[in-house]
Amino acid sequence: MSLAALSLSGPALRRVSEAEDRPARDARWAGLMQAAQAGNSRAYETLLRECLPLLRAICRQRLREPAEVEDAVQDTLLTLHRVRHTYDPARPFRPWIAAIADRRALDRLRGLARRRGREADLDAAENLGVAGDAEKRLLSSDLRAAVKNLPESQRAALQLTKIEALSLAEASERSRMSIGALKVATHRAVQSLRRKLGGDP
Amino acid sequence: MTEPSAPQRFGPTEDLVSRLACGLRPVRRLPSPLLLLGFWTGCCLGVILLALWMLGMRHDLLRDAMGRVDLLHILSAGSVALLSGFAAFQLALPDRDRRWALLPLPAVAAWLATMGLGCVSDVARMGWAGLRPGVSLPCLFFILGLGLPLALGILWLTRHAALLRPAPVAALGGLSAAAFASIGLTLVHELQATAMVLVWHGIAVAAVTAMGALLGPRLMRRAGHADSSRSG
Repeated sequence: MSLAALSLSGPALRRVSEAEDRPARDARWAGLMQAAQAGNSRAYETLLRECLPLLRAICRQRLREPAEVEDAVQDTLLTLHRVRHTYDPARPFRPWIAAIADRRALDRLRGLARRRGREADLDAAENLGVAGDAEKRLLSSDLRAAVKNLPESQRAALQLTKIEALSLAEASERSRMSIGALKVATHRAVQSLRRKLGGDP
Repeated sequence: MTEPSAPQRFGPTEDLVSRLACGLRPVRRLPSPLLLLGFWTGCCLGVILLALWMLGMRHDLLRDAMGRVDLLHILSAGSVALLSGFAAFQLALPDRDRRWALLPLPAVAAWLATMGLGCVSDVARMGWAGLRPGVSLPCLFFILGLGLPLALGILWLTRHAALLRPAPVAALGGLSAAAFASIGLTLVHELQATAMVLVWHGIAVAAVTAMGALLGPRLMRRAGHADSSRSG
């Protein structure tokens, strides 16, 4: 099936053609991953972009909230990046990446269940009946709760880079996280806070 | 109001993909589980030989042929060590079936049966007095002393499992390390009261396995962080 034919087809036909092309696509993905292991960043980027719909579909089977699905996909990408040397090109690529995505989605689901279990209705009670600055205190309470609910790595990254305003190198040394992981964790922490506190994404 | 799918199509996940791909470094592919098992077995045998060189082989082993229980014990412990090591290396990979964890179970059953056989032969030889409970601290300390450093070795070899299924991998790794240590002990230490000593082997092996399962995931994550700091 050519690309031109794909672009001309409707969604249903496109799905059929994708199913037909699956073995070829899997072989291509395996090749791209092999190239990525050799350090080819273009092959890696192409591969990851092509895999995103599959990753989202897998994560959606475990998680309902679109934001949680997206976080699980990002977790999957980070995990995949760190264990990319474990892929054996002699084996199909799809089960490898699918297993990682399923594991990350399941972890996120468990984390959600734990967080919900910890949430107490009385959390905001301390703010009741306070005159004047009640709204401000509620906001700061929300912020504290949101920061508290961040994953540990994101909380540490936020603390070091934004609150203590350390350089990335210093923060990396203190947290034992790589600079790349630190950047991603900070970025995701800020995003998550914005989302929870109703700011613009 | 914006379309909900818009931020997903050009959102932070796509940014993350670009960031991960930017400046990608080549990686050395992980050897196959079989090769890793060969390396691991070689290391363990080297450590056992070193222990033999330092502590000396059992006198009765040099003088006589090995007893039936000793031989069975070494064979079954060897099977446990190899099969649990292989299962750990398989399970450490993302796409492997979780049923690999069951691989060492028949060998573990055989090992327990050997201990049972030791008890039966003791009863036949010494009567019920042969089953008198006792404490064999040297056995415990030897297996802990040899098994724990070896367990650190296999945790290092399977550290990529930290993000996938660390607990079963660490437990299987600990079991493999402890089984190798138990073989080492059998070659060094005379089994005067077979049943009792074999039971202490079992307790020590269970302790190393449990420590692997409890502490292993944390150690693996630390090793993984050290790796990612180096590779970026």
